[in-house]
Amino acid sequence: MQNYDHDVIIAGAGIVGAAIAYHLAIAGLRVAVVDATGPAAAASGASDGAVSVASKKPGPMARLANASLLYTRDLAATGPLAGGFASRPAHIFGTGGAEIAAMDALIEKLAALAGPVRVVGDGPASRLPGMGAGIERLVTLDGEGHMPGHKAVRAYLATPGITPIWPAPVLGFDSDDRSVTLRLADRSLRAGRLVLALGVSTAAVLPGLPILPRSGQLLITDRGPPNELSGALTAAAYLVAKTVDAPTVPLSPVVLDPLATGQYLIGSSRENHGDPGTVDFATLRSILTRAVSVWPALRQRRVIRAFAGVRAAVSDGLPIVGPIAGDNRVFVATGFEGDGICLSALIGREVALMLRGLAPEAGVAADLARLSPSRFAPALLAAGAA
Amino acid sequence: MADAAVLIVGAGLAGLSAAISLAKAGISVRVVDRAPRPGGAIHRQPLPGVRSIASPAQMRRWAGVMAQVERHRARIEILCETGFGGLDYHGVALLTGKGVALFHPRALVLATGARERVQPRAGWTLPGVTTAGALQSGMKTTAEAPKGRILLAGSGPLLLAVGAELARLGSPPVAVVEAGRPFSHPVTAMRLPWSYLTEAALYLARLRAAGVPVLTGHHLTGITAEGQELLAQIEGPKGSRSLRVDRIGLHDGIAPNDLGVPDCPSIPVVRLGDCREALGARAALADGLAGGERLAALLLGSPPALATPKVDRERVAQGDLAQIYAHDGLKYLATQPAETVLCRCENRSLADLRALGPDPTPRQLRLDGRFAMGACQGRFCAEWVGRLAVPDHAPLMRIGADRWPAQPFTIADLVDAPEDV
Repeated sequence: MQNYDHDVIIAGAGIVGAAIAYHLAIAGLRVAVVDATGPAAAASGASDGAVSVASKKPGPMARLANASLLYTRDLAATGPLAGGFASRPAHIFGTGGAEIAAMDALIEKLAALAGPVRVVGDGPASRLPGMGAGIERLVTLDGEGHMPGHKAVRAYLATPGITPIWPAPVLGFDSDDRSVTLRLADRSLRAGRLVLALGVSTAAVLPGLPILPRSGQLLITDRGPPNELSGALTAAAYLVAKTVDAPTVPLSPVVLDPLATGQYLIGSSRENHGDPGTVDFATLRSILTRAVSVWPALRQRRVIRAFAGVRAAVSDGLPIVGPIAGDNRVFVATGFEGDGICLSALIGREVALMLRGLAPEAGVAADLARLSPSRFAPALLAAGAA
Repeated sequence: MADAAVLIVGAGLAGLSAAISLAKAGISVRVVDRAPRPGGAIHRQPLPGVRSIASPAQMRRWAGVMAQVERHRARIEILCETGFGGLDYHGVALLTGKGVALFHPRALVLATGARERVQPRAGWTLPGVTTAGALQSGMKTTAEAPKGRILLAGSGPLLLAVGAELARLGSPPVAVVEAGRPFSHPVTAMRLPWSYLTEAALYLARLRAAGVPVLTGHHLTGITAEGQELLAQIEGPKGSRSLRVDRIGLHDGIAPNDLGVPDCPSIPVVRLGDCREALGARAALADGLAGGERLAALLLGSPPALATPKVDRERVAQGDLAQIYAHDGLKYLATQPAETVLCRCENRSLADLRALGPDPTPRQLRLDGRFAMGACQGRFCAEWVGRLAVPDHAPLMRIGADRWPAQPFTIADLVDAPEDV
């Protein structure tokens, strides 16, 4: 081990890479975090920071999110996330058959999880003063949370034992049975293990990984009275959008997120491309038309900024986490498509255990196994052979 | 699309002269401006019923432009009290206010003029402190000077012009505090166009006649409020002194009022006049005419127009002026008290900047420091935050890329905007 520059190198200083680095560093390992730009420079920094179980697809994602929420609360109580995470209510609204059905499914899902997220209100939208008249149903949840991505990344990376290396784009890697070498523009780094947590850029280093860039337009309003809204307002269409292909979503899957500053973050579209420059009025108009129908007070707010964030989606809708086939020195943790903030605490802990050769926590082992890159092994091998 | 109008943002000298050139070439234009009447900052028109205080030369220039506009009125549409929300990736523009619409122009001309720079110093955001240009705008629209004891401070030829105007309207400033030493560069000054010199001489004669001291080589370093009065701290070669006044007009030069419109892959976007390069009124007129001709040639596929020697001459003259007015006032930026506001939109101070630690990245400045995150998107603070954050960074560090929208717009404006394509 002494010949390595670092025990583990993590490529990618987003929320997932930072959480893994933290868990390795507190276990006493020497960790380097390499990034082309710097901390939280891509999707983690552009995110709304929701730590949401409600929005996860039923099955492994919902169960892992549930476990991650519990663990995030632990890290916020005594650990590095103190001050970075806050619990807050969440409101899901819906109109029409498809959305109402999605809300029924949500309530069923949360009951089955029996976790910290509970339904505390269900009924007409008039329960929440200020809601628009055309909204049929509103479900209010307790126990979800909020964690700004860039703050959490900084908090994790401030742990002693982590060496930051940026700006340094990753050019590639080579591994053999003794070590893995990461190639940067001006040098190479040797380590015992490598983790690729590069979001959409992971596919550039590991071609064949079925990562699809998916762009989402967001906008931010000017400031107004803070706490006008106690928690995010999420269209039930968003729950539908997370489970099926976007064209079948009945209504705009809008999310209104009240920020601590008294501003609103309103999003987002889901577009299958990776160009962050494609902000357009037609898309913003469709998002905002639904947003003002839900929360009419928005009409007089001003839009001060609009932008697109690019997320890493995976063809089967599940992230890719684990060692790549045939190479137990190189691990992948990517493809979270907007769920990285929520899952990062758990994934950080579990990937650190994998890297140290330890068994996963029993309660999540089966669901974690579903995320393994081995499910794409033929595709990866084909890419390697090409 | 070929039939759509060219959208021109700004109905000042550059915007309207570009409109004239395009209309002459047979291309329709839609000119929008936030103000109630065309004119821009230089030819700002008085309120209805108020006589204009413009000089005869200024009036002649503006009348000439408007006569040309009238001659080509069939192809020039002017929408006042109409804002520009931005141009999107597909080449769609959002217009707000009176002319609210989603509009798909054939090309976009940005002619939004210059903005005034104000170097942050203690107390610069107090009530009663404005820019010198804002005092001038007020006089142009009301033909009246503000009352009380007025101090003009900062650097640049505009201070003399505003001071002379205040004197002419019966309210001479108590002093003009000029950081540079414009009278100590006679050799460079003699290179300036004759009209620059006669204009300056006229302003100085008016100030002298009104007994207004022009303190060159002096810096206004801080302002405190004492009851209804403002106490201005002034540093000069012979030490410091303070002045008690009612109002202060600050001005530290001008810069292009570039709205940060990102490049658009769908239609041509050109910047004309001061919004591309702050060279003043004479250049704005010439640049607008020539830029309009160039754009018309591009759209019609005809040979490109010739060079613009007038603009080149003004560039040389403005370079000379910059030398004449050069000063070391930047040294007072970093020594301001910790509570000095840098970003007005988000109320962020020098202390907030220092709290980010050494060598903050642009991302830290924005996300953690909240600089350049307010409604103006850093148009005013980014220059100073960049200088303070990374003092020896050359060129000046950019805090974030061009961002969107160009100007804040209300959500109702976008939701209700009629499609006009």
